Amino acid sequence: MPFEFDEILETIKMTEIEHFDIRTVTLGISLRDCADRNVEVTKQKIYDKVTKYGSNHVKFAREVESKYGISIANKRISITPLSIVGDAFKADEFVEIAKVLDKAAMEVGVDYLAGYSALVQKGFTNGELELIKSIPFALSETGRVCSSINVASTKAGINMDAINMMSQIIKDTAEKTKERDSIGCAKLVVFCNVPEDNPFVAGAFHGVTEPEVVLNVGISGPGVVLDAIKTAGKVDLQQLAEVIKKTIFKITRAGELMGRKVAEKHGIPFGIVDISLAPTPAQGDSIADILQAMGVQYVGAPGTTAALAMLNDSVKKAGLMASSSVGGMSGAFIPVSEDAGMIYAAKMGYLSLEKLEAMTAVCSVGLDMVAVPGDTPATTIAGIIADECAIGMINDKTTAVRIIPAYGKKVGDFVDYGGLLGQAPIMPVRELRCDNLVLRGGRIPAPMRSLTN
Amino acid sequence: MKLSEDDIRRITLSAIDELGEKASPELVKKVVQRSVSNFEFEAPKTDKDLSSGRVILTAYGLNNPGIVSAIANALCKSNCDIQDISQKIMQEFFTMIMLIDITNCPKDLKDLQDEMSSVANQLNIKIFMQHEDIFRFMHRI
Repeated sequence: MPFEFDEILETIKMTEIEHFDIRTVTLGISLRDCADRNVEVTKQKIYDKVTKYGSNHVKFAREVESKYGISIANKRISITPLSIVGDAFKADEFVEIAKVLDKAAMEVGVDYLAGYSALVQKGFTNGELELIKSIPFALSETGRVCSSINVASTKAGINMDAINMMSQIIKDTAEKTKERDSIGCAKLVVFCNVPEDNPFVAGAFHGVTEPEVVLNVGISGPGVVLDAIKTAGKVDLQQLAEVIKKTIFKITRAGELMGRKVAEKHGIPFGIVDISLAPTPAQGDSIADILQAMGVQYVGAPGTTAALAMLNDSVKKAGLMASSSVGGMSGAFIPVSEDAGMIYAAKMGYLSLEKLEAMTAVCSVGLDMVAVPGDTPATTIAGIIADECAIGMINDKTTAVRIIPAYGKKVGDFVDYGGLLGQAPIMPVRELRCDNLVLRGGRIPAPMRSLTN
Repeated sequence: MKLSEDDIRRITLSAIDELGEKASPELVKKVVQRSVSNFEFEAPKTDKDLSSGRVILTAYGLNNPGIVSAIANALCKSNCDIQDISQKIMQEFFTMIMLIDITNCPKDLKDLQDEMSSVANQLNIKIFMQHEDIFRFMHRI
């Protein structure tokens, strides 16, 4: 037998007991050739192109799933940042296009389509301003379209005007979707140093340097790592890092194989595998549980940031060894609402917004799916976003904010979306103000780090 | 639906033939829509790659007489070649791993998996069939 008994059983155990799955196969489609002066023509071209490339996406992914016996949880599509395709359009025309994207996504059977995006770290074009203005309408009038705006980068600094604008947009989106616990905000991310090949929604888009079409894969598997750490028992930290790396190595290899096979069926190039540990609200599929198994009592305890740093770094090291096409965010995600252990820690008050912010300095993304009171002032949200961007800008890493100022809710309440988005307790926000800082506007200049040439 | 350039040319030519001088945007749309719906598309190629190569079959569950024979029989009917078997009883649990060549099997892997799951139901055990590449990728450098 070319494989050991134990090796085969290990793989079966991962998929059957430990929730190992491929989180997403995301088809990136360039829409740059869909630009036209006439919005009707643009809409038709976009619909045709998305449905042309996307029509077999779900079918191909299912075939690969059954061939290798590992499930692919989500099949998704990312597109060129729409502000580039529709730079000449007005806000209401962007909303029209969002509806067409929603219809195309439904037609091909993907649950989310991401790329209602603009990159404004250094300033706005007219089209980008219009797209940003349209976001609350686009997200409240569609179900599957996701939006992301990049407002800062290590090379350009932090665009405070964009942050101020986005914090008001986030508040408006929360109000426009108040009947469903402000769900619009769960589909809207503000980034610093956004990666152009990220397959994970809601922050995915098809970057301008990407080919015509490409297939990217996001792996998952917190449950597998959790089990490996539990099995390892009381070992020292270097040995623990080894255990994590060995596990991640295997699941990355599986992810790359699955992605390459789906791309092969499409007849398109394979892009990257994003080796992120992405939790779900299901029991045992939690990053918080991993940190607890490593030795902190609950997430938020002193030591949490150190444990997360080691986890994140081990994930990256193993992923790099396992695949030559690592990209996206690659690390550990710490969304609050999508992780049972994080939800519990936040509910009990163990995890504060400030501790979470410290953790984002060493995780792969940022403040993710955090619900705050609906009456949080826009300037305070701007301050939170600016803090995250500062961490990202100075450390040359991606950070993001997906915050939900849940309309009409206060500390002690919950927002509940069900499914993958899960539920989140409303976390308290400091009442101290930063209006005089953020309302100065302008741009925080690019840091020392930007001068690397 | 995928149209090749030749297909588009044929539709265009038939529209020109039919309309000639009286073409207007509405008429063209009508004729093109009609010819697209009447158009005969080449049947999509069947995906042969699913039924080649070797797969690993894993079966486990409470031990019962006749498990190996039921699985082997089902495989034999589908013309699958069993190349290796490894089987253990751990306490009262039955575990078996088979390496199977399905190159000569007329069915594709999906059908074979469906067939095996009905065998699994009858025997009250679990059966997985996965292409061997997944194990090679995960456990071999």
